[in-house]
Amino acid sequence: MSFWEVVSAVLLLATALGVVRAQNAVHAALSLIANFLVVAAVYAGLEARFVAMTQVIVYAGAIVVLFLFVIMLLSAARSEAGPDPLPGLQPLALLGGVSLAAVLVYAVSRFQAPANPASLQGGLPQALGPLLYQPERWMYAVLLVGFLLLVATVAAMLLVEPERIAPPLSGKRPQDQQEGARP
Amino acid sequence: MTYLVVSALLFALGAYGALTRRTAILVFLSVELMLNAANLSLITFSRLLGVLDGQVVALFVIAIAAAEVAVGLGLIIAIFRRRETTSVDELRSLRG
Repeated sequence: MSFWEVVSAVLLLATALGVVRAQNAVHAALSLIANFLVVAAVYAGLEARFVAMTQVIVYAGAIVVLFLFVIMLLSAARSEAGPDPLPGLQPLALLGGVSLAAVLVYAVSRFQAPANPASLQGGLPQALGPLLYQPERWMYAVLLVGFLLLVATVAAMLLVEPERIAPPLSGKRPQDQQEGARP
Repeated sequence: MTYLVVSALLFALGAYGALTRRTAILVFLSVELMLNAANLSLITFSRLLGVLDGQVVALFVIAIAAAEVAVGLGLIIAIFRRRETTSVDELRSLRG
């Protein structure tokens, strides 16, 4: 366990605590950005430089900024104020979180790493590209994920569309009547 | 090895936040934290085993998180328009 591992572990846990405990939603989102930036630095140290860049651009740059937009759009920054409607939930959630952490730490502590792992070539795009775009490796998964992103974009547009005037529940719609009136 | 333990703790913290937060947006933030913890363990395993596929799967997780955020925030905005609240304790009309 080196010095920088300890530093990044402390930073990661502190910022994660900020995400789950901050009273102001804007502070929670900013803590999440800090967490993601530390994670990106850790990725760069673990020979995953392309994923580190993607983490900064997509996660910290796009996703959390979208969160900040929505928090400010809905004026939800102070939404956690006021009395807690479910005070009994806190200790139960703490118990669940601690037991989940215990199980996961036990699971990873049983892992035995091989002595001399192969080099990852720094995780550069030159190394990842052939894996991503070979038909016998991950190409179809890439295509499916692209299609999923398209569907999600269309769904998000439909969800936030301004409400249309609902058609009457009984009787024909206007265009049906016009068609029926035509000789 | 340190990062495996850290990722386990981050995942548990995210689960705790998703259980205790009262606003839908903040529940979502905690879920993002959990996704990120899973990514961290994928990258660490990729480094420890010397196999690049873990990094590819981490890229897929990032892409799917982007899709999930687009749909989830759209849902939150649609619910806020209709109900004027995003508190998960008040959205209980589907409760049996």
